[in-house]
Order: sequence, then C-alpha cells, then structure tokens
Amino acid sequence: MRQKRNVVIQLTILVALGTAVILTLVLPQLTITRTSTPPVELSVILRDSDSTLWSNARLGMEQAAGELRAELRFLTLSSANDSAEQADLIAREAEGGADVMVVVPADSGQPLATEQLPVVTMESWAEGAAVTVSPDNEALGQELAQCALEDWAGSPVLLIQTAPASAGVSQRLAAARQTLEEAGVLVEAAECPVEELVSVLPDLLKQTGAGQVMVFEPAATQRAAEYKENVGLSQMLYGVGVTSRIAAYLERETVTAVAAWSDFAAGYLAVEGAVHAAQRKPYQADPLPFTVLRGEDIYEPDNQKLLFPVTN
Amino acid sequence: MGSFVKGFAGRMARRYGKMSIQMVISLSFTAVAVVGMVFMGLSLSWRFSAGAEMLVEDNSQRVLSQVNMNLDSYLRRMMRVSDTVYYRVIKDADLAQDDLMPGLELLYEENRDDLVSIALFNGEGELVAASPLSGLKASAVPQESLWFQAAMEKMENLHFSAPHIQNIFEDPDYRYQWVVSLSRYVQLTREGSTESGVLLVDMSFAGIEQVCRDVELSNDGYLYLIDASGELIYHPKQQLIYAGLWEENNLAAAGYRDGVHGETFQNENRQVIVKTVGYTGWKLVGVVPREGLGGDVRQTFLFGLSLLLFSVFLMAFLNFRISAHISDPIRRLEQAIKELEAGREDVEIPQEGCYEVQRLGHSISSMVSTMRHLMNDIIQQERQKRRSELEVLQSQINPHFLYNTLDSVIWMTEAGRYEEAIQMVTSLARLFRISLSRGRSVIPLADELEHARNYMNIQQIRYKNKFTTQITAQPETEGLFTLKLIVQPILENAIYHGMTCAEGDGIISVTARREGDDLLIEVTDNGIGMRPEVAASLLDDDRPDVRTTGSGIGVRNVHQRIRLTFGPEYGLTILSEPDEGTTVRIRLPALDEAGVAPYEREETP
Repeated sequence: MRQKRNVVIQLTILVALGTAVILTLVLPQLTITRTSTPPVELSVILRDSDSTLWSNARLGMEQAAGELRAELRFLTLSSANDSAEQADLIAREAEGGADVMVVVPADSGQPLATEQLPVVTMESWAEGAAVTVSPDNEALGQELAQCALEDWAGSPVLLIQTAPASAGVSQRLAAARQTLEEAGVLVEAAECPVEELVSVLPDLLKQTGAGQVMVFEPAATQRAAEYKENVGLSQMLYGVGVTSRIAAYLERETVTAVAAWSDFAAGYLAVEGAVHAAQRKPYQADPLPFTVLRGEDIYEPDNQKLLFPVTN
Repeated sequence: MGSFVKGFAGRMARRYGKMSIQMVISLSFTAVAVVGMVFMGLSLSWRFSAGAEMLVEDNSQRVLSQVNMNLDSYLRRMMRVSDTVYYRVIKDADLAQDDLMPGLELLYEENRDDLVSIALFNGEGELVAASPLSGLKASAVPQESLWFQAAMEKMENLHFSAPHIQNIFEDPDYRYQWVVSLSRYVQLTREGSTESGVLLVDMSFAGIEQVCRDVELSNDGYLYLIDASGELIYHPKQQLIYAGLWEENNLAAAGYRDGVHGETFQNENRQVIVKTVGYTGWKLVGVVPREGLGGDVRQTFLFGLSLLLFSVFLMAFLNFRISAHISDPIRRLEQAIKELEAGREDVEIPQEGCYEVQRLGHSISSMVSTMRHLMNDIIQQERQKRRSELEVLQSQINPHFLYNTLDSVIWMTEAGRYEEAIQMVTSLARLFRISLSRGRSVIPLADELEHARNYMNIQQIRYKNKFTTQITAQPETEGLFTLKLIVQPILENAIYHGMTCAEGDGIISVTARREGDDLLIEVTDNGIGMRPEVAASLLDDDRPDVRTTGSGIGVRNVHQRIRLTFGPEYGLTILSEPDEGTTVRIRLPALDEAGVAPYEREETP
C-alpha cells in the first residue's frame, strides 16, 4: 500500500516537472504571453503661441518618445502666456486620456489641476509638478548679467519682463537685476507682453536712455532682435535661448550674447521624466548645463553640437 | 584537506555499508546520469553560445558589408558629382567668358536630395559660383575652413570633412545645416591663364543618415560611423551624445582594425565589428551587446532548470524501478535466509531474477536441502545413540547379582528349602519380565514398584532378612507412568552402602506420591548414611566412575537417564546424614497414559 502511494507521488512529481518543461518551452511562443503594454499618451502644452521656438526641444522629445514608447501631442496656446487657456488645455487633455503631461507653465503660481495625472514642467517649477527640467534660472540670469557687465559703458541697462507669471523667467530677471545693481549699474525694468514688445520698446529706450537691453525668454529675444535689425537700433541686446533665427542674429551681432542650453536635451529629458512619472518610477532631473554665447562662439565645434541638432 | 577527504570517504563507506543494493544501484546510476547530463548540458550550452555569437558575428559582418557597400556607392556618387562639375563644367570653361551657374544648377537639381550646395572658390577663397545659395555671409572666411585648407594642401585628392554646420552662405531661411564637405583642388581658367581653386560639394547629412539609419543588428545592436580620428559622422543617438546624455566609445573604436573585437564599455560587454569605408578612411562600427545573445536568459534558464529537474527525477524514478527489478530477487533470497536463520523449516528458497541470482538461489536451495538431510541424519544418529545408551544402561544388570541369586537358589534347593527357592526363582522371573517390558522405556508406576518389590524379595532372602522393606504408593499416583528401572538401582545402593555395614534391623522404604504435576518416589534407608557434601557429589558429572559392589547401574546413571528423557528440571536429590540414613528423592513428571505417548515415539527407531 505504502509502495503504491510512493509510486503515485513519484509519477505526480514526474508529470508536474514534465509539464513545467513543456510550459517553459511553449510559453515564450504563445502570443498571449507577449503582453504589449500600450504606449504612454503624453501631451506637451507650451506657454507660447509659436511652436517653432520649441522645435529643437520637440526633436529631443520625439527621440525620447520613440525610444520609450510614448505618443506625443504637441499643443500651443492661441496667445502666449495665457494661463487660463493653458489650464483649460491641461484639463481637456487630462479628460482626453493623457497618461502624463509636459507643461511649460504660463503661470507658475497657478497649481496644475491634473488630480492624479503626473506633470513634468519645463523652464519653471509649478505646484503639482513631479519633475522640472530647466537650467538653473538664477545662475543663468547672473551669468547673462555678467556678460552684459563686460560690455557696460555706463548707460542704464533695461530689463524687460515679458512673462511675469513664469517663475523661471522671473528668476532669471531677478538674478540679473541683482547682479547688475550690485555692480553699481543703473537698472531700469519694464514689463510688457511679448506681443507688445515691439510697440513699447522704442518708448522704453527713449525714456530710460538704456545702452543695453536684456530679455529673458526666447520669444522676446527673437522679437527684440528682429526689431533691432529692422529699425537699426544701436543698443546691445542680450537674450535667452537659441533658435536658428536667434543664431543668425547672434552671427550678425544683432544679439550681443545669449544664454543657451541644449533644447534637444531639455525635450528629451522632459519626456524621459514624464514616462518615468507615468510608470510611477522615480526620476531625478539635474539642472541643464547652459552657456553664455557671443556671435563669434557659435561655430566652435562643441557649441555647434549643442545648438544645432543633427537632423534632416 | 586530506583529513577531510579521508573523513568523507569514511562516512561514505559507512553509509554504503548500510545501504540496500537497490539504493546503491539507483543512487549510483542517477549520480552518473546527472553528472553526464550536466556535462552534456554545459557542453551544449557552451557550444550553443559560441554558435550564437558566431552567427551574430556573421550577421553583423554581412550587415556592415552591405552598409559599407551602400555608403561606398553613395560616396562614389558624390565623387562623380564632383568629377562631373570639375571635368564637364569647370575644366573647359574660361571664367572670364563662361557662366558656370547653369551647369552647377543643373547638377544640383539632379542631386538635390543628397546635396546642400555646390560652390567654386578661387585660391583666395573668393566665391566664383555656387548653387543653390549664391551669396556668402559677410563674416564668411572660406579659406580658413578645414575643407578649403585640406584641398589646397593635398591637391591630388578628394577630401571628406567631418560633419559640421555650413556657415558660409547667406541663407534667408536661417537654416543651419549639418553637412559633410567634399572638397578638391581644381584648376580654373581665366582669360587663358590657369589659377588655383577649390570645388566644394556639401553633402547633405541626411544622405549619410539615410544609408546608415534603420540598420538593425542582432540583440538590439546598432551601427555608427566615425572618421579616422574617431569623430562621429553618424550615430543613432548622435544628438544625445552631443548633448552629453549618452556616451559612445568612438575614440577607442578609431584605433580598432577591421574585424571583430570585444570591449567593455560602461560595464557592458560588447561585440564590436569594424569595417573601413574605402577612400575616406571612415570606419563603420557595429556594436552588439553580448548579454542576452543566446536569447532570453531568464526563459532559457527556467527551461534548462526544469528540463534538468525533470531528467534527474525521471532518471531517479527509472533507476529505482530498474534497480528494484534487479535487487528484489536478491532481497527475497536474503529474507528467506533470514527466516532459515530464525529456525523456520518450511522456507522456500526463491530461484528468480537474473541468471547469477537464480544460480545463487539454486545453490543456496541445494545447500539448505543438503543441510536438512545432514541435520536429520545427525538427529537420527543422536536418537540412536541415546537409545543405545539407555539400552546399555538398562541392560547393565550385574551378572554377579544373577550368579549370586542362582547360587542362592541352588543352595536353598540342596537344603530342601523348596518354598524359598520357588519364591526366589519366581521373583527373579518377574524381575526379568518387568525388565523386558516389551522393549518400552516408560512403564506404569505399579510395574516399577512391583519390580522393586521382587528385587527386594530376592535380596531379603539372600541377606537372611537383615532388613525389612516397605513399598507404598499414594492413591493419587494410580495410573501414572515412570521411567523403567529407576528404583532398583537406588535400592541396590541402599542395600550395599546402607545396610551391609549397618548394625541392627535395617528398614528400606519406597514411597510414591504426587506433588503438583510431578511424581516423587523416595527411597529411604536407615543405614550408615554419609556426609551431605559426599551425597551432593554423587550426582556430579565430573565425578569419576567408581565401580562398586552394586548392581552396576549407578545412581548417577539413573539421574542422567531422567534428565536425558525429561529435561534438567527432573532427576535425583540425595539427602543424607552420617549414622541417620539416606533418602534418595526421584522427581519425574506425572505422566498419565496420554502423556507417555511422545516418549514412546521418541524411543521408536
């Protein structure tokens, strides 16, 4: 009896192990085991109305999305820095089934109303952001101011705030102002929307008698440079960001210097952080390295690689 | 180490000694099979890994050769464009009279997918003609460009630059395009005289990218292109590398010769295949991570483990069955031998299993059979020997007693004492009749006592009634049986040792009584007696036989006969005191007629 029971147990174990062999052999071939996780639905919401300013960042985002299996939706505002519209867009995307968002906050003081949806911000931190991808805005403002100080000839320096609700832009301006004032420079500050910059700039320059003008976001830099070149202003212009147009203005010395970082890297890291956040994985974003460039520097091999993405 | 090995070997030897043959066979077969399987598995795994790596290597080399061919074809096409511009458009033209633009524009339009610009410069770096952009930037200094200097330095060659932003042309669309510049020294003709110049063909980076992108190597491998100094020309993650988010071992790869190399980069073991692109000195580098070359390691491990466990268990199971089949006959044989050892007589020795075991069983069976015969013979011989011994003991009637008795009868007849002579002869006849008892050794107690009485009658006549005899039996002894001729030798001893030297009237009494399951017959005399230690020594086996004047059947012989027949708990006890007399107590089992039967059979030859 006992022997019979032992034989039954042995045969049971044998059958179980045989089944395990067959399963380990066959399971990898079965389609049901190949669970394809759906791609991460990712919405990118800018605070600008012109997406060309973010074209390099978009390239980085697309590369990251391709590698990390994410689907991008790229959204711009109808008017720059319209926080209400941006909030609507965020809510709409959240309802539309986005898994995660990358937002360039128009108003950093306004919480990102996304409930459980993780959000990665670029340029500025905002309440509710899981990760923020940006250069050290304060250091960037200080370095740009240092560059302006090198060219300072005693005239007042005009600092123009074009995105007062953006914490990142405000930090840059505040740091630049502090640096300049500490150096004994007379600083004049003005605030105007980026769309109105061209119209208010002549009066501002006349009123302040500024010899140097500083703006702190790419859209403002591009507009100010365009205006300067069209009108033929003599004031030195300092800005932020490098688009192909800004690079051309730099090369032509319309823009004296810009603080620049790799938008490609910023876009890539933002999407990488967003995918990690969607998958509830920890992610740490270090501040992006930046450099202050003058026209003569842009064709240095390292700067070429930083500023101009290798794309078709 | 040595002591450990010895200890281990000793433990194994001890364990081996306690193991059954089935366990030894199944364990050793399984162990050998497992070792063989593991060895074979490892060999196959190693061979499979090596084969997979070779396959990947071959595949990578084939892919690289194909890409190299495509790239070579692309570069040759670009060189043909350059040749065409030079030999068809520039060489025969006089710059003072001929317009080069239509030719350049035509060639550019024909190859616009691959080209960014075609431009011709004179030796001072001044633009002679260009398509599609026709103006230089104010800040442009072509003669300081590397491509210009390379062309002017090595006039006979075509030169491919590293990828760079082409920044000399004024572009109204603010495009900053990455190009690879193909430059060459050309001779220009102006008003009949020749002068130096540089022809620039800016190849679109996209053209190279198109050749190299979407090339897939095994195991998520990839391909990149570097120039002779290791500078990246194409890499699938080129911009990430430029942004510092990714790293590549391109500078080391520049030092590799064509072929397959192994390297460890950022803790990743990789297979690197290098192939030099003809003419340019560029190198195509294929990178294949070695980890996971044999497929999904986790699945392979699980499959291997389950297969190994299944095989081991199957082996163990089958070996156990087979060893049981081999060893069961041996075990049954061993069991039969154990039963034989325990004394069972009806054990059947199995003769089954393989040939050797069958032969062993057969041999043991024959041996047991022979042993049984021998034992039966020995038993038979022992019985006969005992019977002979008993017969010898029983037949030891002293001839002297017979002579004296017959002499007494003659004497009494001559003396006219006919009544006494008749009584004596009658008693002698009865004595012999009972002695014979038809050959039986166990007779009724009454017969034995009658025999004693007849003997005493004869002796009383011979000794002129020097003593008197009382023979009594308790009623409960009626129907009991006793061993033949056990009382008479005791009486003979009582007469010769107790009465012959005694003074006064002697009394010899014989009483039979029952005590529990035993029958006690006591022979008591009031003769001279003896010391208790002498009495005790009379039954000692080691005591030498001393022939006395008795009948010849000694007390010790009676004692031995009783013990031989009924066992050591029965026999004689002698109680004696000097000058007081002696009592010899005979203890026997109280045998009735049914109880006698076994002893009668035993005596039957």
